[in-house]
Amino acid sequence: MNRPAPHPVPSRSLPPASRWPREHLGTLLALAALVLVFSLATRHFFSPANFRTIANQIPSALLVATGMTYILLLGQIDLSVGSVLALSGAVVGVALSQGHWPLPAAALAGLAAGALCGAFNGLVTLRWRLPTFIVTLGTLEMARGGAHALTHSQTLYLGSAIESLADANVLGFSLPFLIAITVVLAAQLLLTRTVFGRHVIAIGTNPEAARLAGINTRPVQLAVFVSTGCLVALAALIDCSRFQAANPNAGIGLELQAIAAAVIGGTSLMGGRGSVVGTFIGVLIIAVLNSGLAAVGAKEELKRLITGAVIIAAVIADLYRHRRP
Amino acid sequence: MRPTLAMRGLCKSYATPVLDGIDLDLLPGEVHALVGENGAGKSTLSRILAGLTPPDSGTLELEGEPYSPSNKRAAEQAGIHLVMQELNLIRTLSVAENIFLDHLPHRAGWIRYPQLHRDAAEVLARIGLPHLDPQTPVEQLGVGQQQMVEIASRLWRPCRVLILDEPTAALTDPEVASLFHQIRQLQSQGVAILYISHRLEEIRQIANRISVLRDGHLVATRLATELPIDDVVRLMVGRELGTANFTAGRTRGPIALAVRNLHAGDRVQNISFDAFRGEILGVSGLMGSGRTETVRAIFGADPIESGQIFLHGNTQPATIRSPRDAVRLGIALLTEDRKGQGLFLSLAVRENLTVNTLPSFASAVGWISRIRETASVRGWLQKLQVRCDSPEQGIAQLSGGNQQKVVVARWLLRDCDILLFDEPTRGVDVGARFEIYQLLADLAAQGKCIVVVSSDLTELMMISDRIAVLSNGRLTAEFTRHAWTQDKIMAAALSGYLSPTTTP
Amino acid sequence: MNRYPSLALLTCLALSFFTACGPSQPEATTPPSPPNSPTRPRIALVMKSLANEFFLTMENGAKAHQKTNASPYDLLANGIKDELDVTRQIDMVEQMIAQRVDAIVLAPADSKALVASCKKAQDAGIVVVNIDNKLDAAVLAEKKTQIPFVGPNNRIGARKVGDFLASKLQPGDPVAVIEGAPNAFNGQQRRQGFVDAFDAAKLRIVSSQSGYWETDKANQVAAAVLSEHPEIKAFACANDSMALGAVAALRAAGKAGQVLVVGFDNISAAHSMIQEGRMLATADQHADQIAVFGIEYALQLLATRAAPADRETPVDLITPTP
Ligand SMILES: Nc1ncnc2c1ncn2[C@@H]1O[C@H](COP(=O)(O)OP(=O)(O)OP(=O)(O)O)[C@@H](O)[C@H]1O
Ligand SMILES: [Mg+2]
Repeated sequence: MNRPAPHPVPSRSLPPASRWPREHLGTLLALAALVLVFSLATRHFFSPANFRTIANQIPSALLVATGMTYILLLGQIDLSVGSVLALSGAVVGVALSQGHWPLPAAALAGLAAGALCGAFNGLVTLRWRLPTFIVTLGTLEMARGGAHALTHSQTLYLGSAIESLADANVLGFSLPFLIAITVVLAAQLLLTRTVFGRHVIAIGTNPEAARLAGINTRPVQLAVFVSTGCLVALAALIDCSRFQAANPNAGIGLELQAIAAAVIGGTSLMGGRGSVVGTFIGVLIIAVLNSGLAAVGAKEELKRLITGAVIIAAVIADLYRHRRP
Repeated sequence: MRPTLAMRGLCKSYATPVLDGIDLDLLPGEVHALVGENGAGKSTLSRILAGLTPPDSGTLELEGEPYSPSNKRAAEQAGIHLVMQELNLIRTLSVAENIFLDHLPHRAGWIRYPQLHRDAAEVLARIGLPHLDPQTPVEQLGVGQQQMVEIASRLWRPCRVLILDEPTAALTDPEVASLFHQIRQLQSQGVAILYISHRLEEIRQIANRISVLRDGHLVATRLATELPIDDVVRLMVGRELGTANFTAGRTRGPIALAVRNLHAGDRVQNISFDAFRGEILGVSGLMGSGRTETVRAIFGADPIESGQIFLHGNTQPATIRSPRDAVRLGIALLTEDRKGQGLFLSLAVRENLTVNTLPSFASAVGWISRIRETASVRGWLQKLQVRCDSPEQGIAQLSGGNQQKVVVARWLLRDCDILLFDEPTRGVDVGARFEIYQLLADLAAQGKCIVVVSSDLTELMMISDRIAVLSNGRLTAEFTRHAWTQDKIMAAALSGYLSPTTTP
Repeated sequence: MNRYPSLALLTCLALSFFTACGPSQPEATTPPSPPNSPTRPRIALVMKSLANEFFLTMENGAKAHQKTNASPYDLLANGIKDELDVTRQIDMVEQMIAQRVDAIVLAPADSKALVASCKKAQDAGIVVVNIDNKLDAAVLAEKKTQIPFVGPNNRIGARKVGDFLASKLQPGDPVAVIEGAPNAFNGQQRRQGFVDAFDAAKLRIVSSQSGYWETDKANQVAAAVLSEHPEIKAFACANDSMALGAVAALRAAGKAGQVLVVGFDNISAAHSMIQEGRMLATADQHADQIAVFGIEYALQLLATRAAPADRETPVDLITPTP
């Protein structure tokens, strides 16, 4: 039985860590092309100040999209993020403006609200094996209702109680931006380098095979839902601080923005494939597009036309890169 | 005689050359067996013929006319049909709908169900499944029955060439017999049949000619009568396999698994048996006899209605509510449905292999050491002779047999004490099959308890110390090595259907 | 949502499920009275989004009025979930017609699309009063209908705010306008009011883009305009929510206090901002009174059956109290 190995396994594959720049080449090129076009079309687009402006605008979108990426990786979807953002913001707002709580306590309350919504989504989905589409659609309504009930449908003015958070900065980058970047890096490493991340991918790829491999799928899924809730709450806190106000109408349509960013970044809606770094690039593409079109002063109808076209083009470009030979 | 289908100089390369200058003629009315190791290129060749993959170079001629199908439909219109190696049924549709999926009888778009079901029942009866209700959703069928439905969906079509890629990998003898009956009928109608299989025993029964594929070359095409099995094996793997004894050198140890009065669904009725450390227990039975359901129930994959499972001689029954519990208690289950329940198709070989052993490569906080992970993966790929470019290759690109080896390796890596292997050699070539037998024998010699479910009786008789036979959801007999014969086992396998009231 | 038309469609599909299944019966705020009781007229108040502070205030004003008014009437108050959900509002008007209310007081979500329904109501003998957002004159003329409008003149209100802003600037100074949703008449009016004021003061409008009434969207637009036109002196926003977004953009760019911001609506957050000096001014349309005026006018019409005519409600400039 000791036959010589006729097909030794060659060891010429690249170390996986160096795969990502190539993996995201298409979207990075798209991003570069957008920056180039807007730099040529406007006077001040290509300036450190403008890039800083964009960097300081994206943290909340980035946090939400990161959570959404994990949800999509699991093969699920979360439509409630926008409403949960409003609800968490409302909790923070009420705690600060009416309860006169100290900022850390209010922030914790907001995070707890987000985590609870995430846990609710996860538990209901897992307990009754419902499609997340419908569960989170329900949460979308309930959380929005909660946000309005808490604020009596008024935008709560928070003023200086909270602005310290958004105004703190290091090297011109706001604290929220640094937090968001840290979260993106941590989430990417968690995904590619840890047991948890690998289990997320396995469950998203083939839930039945994952179960039969002995993976405890429920805690993994629940953890993803709860973390997403927390990230959304963090985004809410950042938004409250940025606008110095808690708006019960905040985040309408945010779920689609987050899903679009993730999908542009190469995350599959079918689960199992995607990366947080890709999502980061997706968020950047959308942010650059918004900012550039506004800088150009494009007409409304044109803005929408171009935005839609770029999203579809980015996804098609990505598809070509993944097509099998 | 003019060949029905002639291949000239077919070449195909992926990362490495897979087919290199294949010249082969399929004659009308012949059963032409194609054999070769896993990854030799058999499925690739059949995909080219069926229009699923274009060749890099080379030409095809169908009855003297140039033939270059651009897709599956074009091939089918030319009369060339392929039963693929992997199951490709639509799980939520019924058996009848799957069989006639692209030819549903209809009037102005409205499906005529009575006719559909009548036609399907007729097709099913022809291939030996007269009792299968055509309205059953496919997802309720076992892999063997799905395989039969898959075959049935090709057999009713008028054809000139029929390609069967490992059609019998999950079938038991009676189904194989009725398949052969059908093949012989087609043969008498002048259809050319390309038959791919790793079961050399069957090939001797059915084939007129045998072609052997090795490393992308056709190393031999001979009349079946002129080529003894041993020579086939030698040509395939390039060396002698010899006759190994897979039961030598081990002694039965203490009891590891005791199942008592297990009930789970219709297919698991009051099953009791013992399995010991240091032995291999074979489980035989016909398709749908409850073999898979029994091991799944033990593993916690399906809910148990009643009954107890005792591990390692404990007097307290073990609580196994989920596969997770089972794995914690040191039980492994290799599932029979590789594609649906085993593989993570869009992931790499490495990720597939280590999915349930990750913590052993990880630090306390769950940080995986890629270096250790990859090293371990390479070791197992080497050991099981898996043919792939690198551990990072997508598992979907591997040949069926090589995929099977990866899922086997997954459980060997996990180092469980009780290994439930459901069709462990499904689609695996003879050489690697012997490799797996040897591995199982070594594991048993190390004191593991191994339960092997297999449709291949020859295989079970070769490796098992005891064989338990299930029939119609009940355990009807248990034989030790010296007491069994093929006939006795077959009789026990049928007994449950003859007198449903008999209990062992 | 507005950034992704195609995706927006998907949500709308998803959400229409909910709206379709939502409670279709309007809640009566008083115990039901016998239908068509001659003594107690039934008045339907159909509003835009009750999720919007402005309309909520309006509704609360109406409810308070209904409780205290000398001559009793029944009030059926209804709003739509999303300000842009025109279809839902049309459905609601038709429901009110079916309920045979005596009068409909309507704040239309779209100044053209609702005209047909209003005509239908009038034909059914129902008194229709248009509040808040004026129905399009051309369409009304085409339908040969007259519907009295009771509400503020947004253009004049915005002009007041714009004039106040201009008084703090020099001729030739660059300014930007952040508009409301492009399909809203009141948004167009406010923009026009700002433009009137800026033209009169010879200010230079370097950018005028829509912020779709939303804080976040307005923030993005304002930030981009700030980058592109660093010399900008002021932002005039068509509502206060968008003004909040502009203020945030200034803060992020380190220009808080250097660039002036004005809004419209006088929501409480904006009020606080003005007191703190972060915003310059806004306009108050007395939301709590608008619906009340509309209802009173409807009651009056029911009683007298007089010929309908428009009525203007006050708009006041709000500036920091010294
Ligand atoms: N899409 C692909 N990309 C890269 N390599 C591929 C692809 N498809 C097949 N291969 C490689 O081609 C070789 C031949 O595969 P093929 O499926 O034809 O083997 P086979 O003879 O049918 O094996 P088995 O007996 O295991 O079914 C394998 O090494 C496989 O890894
Ligand atoms: Mg094959």
